[in-house]
Amino acid sequence: MLKALPQIRFLMSRPELVADRDQNVTVLIRITPPEAESFSGKRPLLNLSLVLDRSGSMEGAKIQRAREAAAYCIDQMTAADRVSLVIFDDEIEVLVPSQFVENRSFIKAHVERIHARNSTALHSAWVQGGLEVSGHLNRDAINRIILVTDGLANVGLTNTDEIVSQAAGLHERGVSTSTIGIGDDFNEDLLIPMARSAGGNSWHVERTDDLQSIFATELQGLIAQFAHRVSLGLIPADGVRVVDLLNDFELTDTGRYKLPNLQSGTPLDIVVQLKVPAQTVGSRLRLLDLKLGFTGQESGQTEVVKDFLEVAFRSEADVLSLPINAEVDRVNAMLMNARARKEAVRHMDHGDRLGARRVLHERIAATRLACALEASAPEVVEELNSLGDLYSALESDRAGNSTRKRLAYGAFLRQQGKKK
Amino acid sequence: MKSSLEGARGRRYIGVSELANQATTVLAEQGTVQGKGTVSDFPDERTVRYYLSEGLISPAVEKQGTASVFDYIHLLQLLAIKKLQSDHIPIRKIREIVGGSNERQLERLLFTGGEAGERNDARRYLESLLVRPSVSESRTSAARPRSPASPTEAYMSPPREAEVSAFASEGIAKWERVEVEPGLEMHIRSDYVLDSGQSSLSRIRNLIEKSLRLLILNQKQ
Repeated sequence: MLKALPQIRFLMSRPELVADRDQNVTVLIRITPPEAESFSGKRPLLNLSLVLDRSGSMEGAKIQRAREAAAYCIDQMTAADRVSLVIFDDEIEVLVPSQFVENRSFIKAHVERIHARNSTALHSAWVQGGLEVSGHLNRDAINRIILVTDGLANVGLTNTDEIVSQAAGLHERGVSTSTIGIGDDFNEDLLIPMARSAGGNSWHVERTDDLQSIFATELQGLIAQFAHRVSLGLIPADGVRVVDLLNDFELTDTGRYKLPNLQSGTPLDIVVQLKVPAQTVGSRLRLLDLKLGFTGQESGQTEVVKDFLEVAFRSEADVLSLPINAEVDRVNAMLMNARARKEAVRHMDHGDRLGARRVLHERIAATRLACALEASAPEVVEELNSLGDLYSALESDRAGNSTRKRLAYGAFLRQQGKKK
Repeated sequence: MKSSLEGARGRRYIGVSELANQATTVLAEQGTVQGKGTVSDFPDERTVRYYLSEGLISPAVEKQGTASVFDYIHLLQLLAIKKLQSDHIPIRKIREIVGGSNERQLERLLFTGGEAGERNDARRYLESLLVRPSVSESRTSAARPRSPASPTEAYMSPPREAEVSAFASEGIAKWERVEVEPGLEMHIRSDYVLDSGQSSLSRIRNLIEKSLRLLILNQKQ
């Protein structure tokens, strides 16, 4: 069987560029990991620690749903997977030490006994979850902490930057972290960066009843993981500059972009904007070289895929006669909207709801224009509805934690190419 | 641990002390250390009798004269207890886990796949986080009375509060780090109380000055 590698596609609004002028060019880079069927498709082993908040605020429906979600998670795992269960308030308890998922009823019986109480020692609980996972670190498995909380870290280490930095440090050593925030009172400025720096996902559960489906999404993502430690190098041609990368990925020490883990069957869309100097009619230019580096989940080996974008330059009339690829404008608009959501959060933080509304209003108009050819596409309709809802929420006095979280998570998930 | 237990299957231990000795041999080979000061690293005869009386270890399979006879599963149970104790699992929980596990499950608990039990990089890193003083605000540290202002504080960057985690109660010393200037720090243990009297401050200042002079002298040499 041939080695299955991600496919790279370069897409532009039109496949050729107008000659004799300097121009900004938007390029959509689509990375499509192979479907599970095209390689062995063997599901990776899981080594998970579920770290559940049982502080007082979790009392009632939240703790009940958290119990159900944990039980669901255990039901989805196989006997070859490992799981541990850490619960925390101001004290940490390893309810179930890391073990193979052999005796489900034994593990679930412990889950049933979780009750809410006291305050939130989030950091220490995360460390304990990490100890459970790292105590059985398996380089062939996905070693991950899934931290579930509805509150603010208020016991032990609470400094956001330090916790995020520690989560990144642990990820470098083989243990990733995903975070799930429930309700309106947790700190998304901790949970999102924590997951992003730690190679995991961050989810916001607005309605407690959705907790189980979020767990399902997280688990499906783990099971479908094709590659981790993914990085992207972009080398433009002489005279060409990368002026922007709309996903706002962090950079590695070597100047590459840190990409999220790749999942089988889920393409990752990246939009870059290039400044291209004038070229003569009829010429061709290799605009951009790309290097995608990753560690294959199945092989455990570091692999590199190389590709490049070469385009032809024509007269304006020739280029305008070419069909438009509306998808490029749509993805570009969605990523611009992600940035707008972050900007709206900044306005909110300064008490400037009007500014936040203005930003969203502009993006609603811009999205309608950019996506005019795909106005009825479900993704466009959903996006416009989402922006409209946020705009309305900001209009009323009810704009608060919930709106801020919807903005922050909307931006994060879009830029990471994730869908709930 | 797997290699340490090779050959132990099928073997019998006559008397509590032989069982305790065998467990001690295995644990010593592994270098297992208990974090809690109240828990001994190795089980002695008295500890094993206590575990038996508490139901953490199953009753002996038979008697040989006055001595109880134990076998492989008893050794696994004893080792599992020590392992879980080193993970800070409460005794009631250990009873449930060990009591509810058969021989194979106990082996898995002890042998643990992958890099189990090894002091891998991730684990070492996390353990360092438990003792590393960090920038934080904690309920516990906020409640602790701070040292009174001293003349030296004028030269310091703002003091950073030490991490006081839930593990503080487990005997790990907590230190507060104060940067005097780049490259020079003071470390203060959480239970240290500085007398606010002028004579005490002068004494501390002299001690610090003396330490610094010694340091400079050593550097010159």
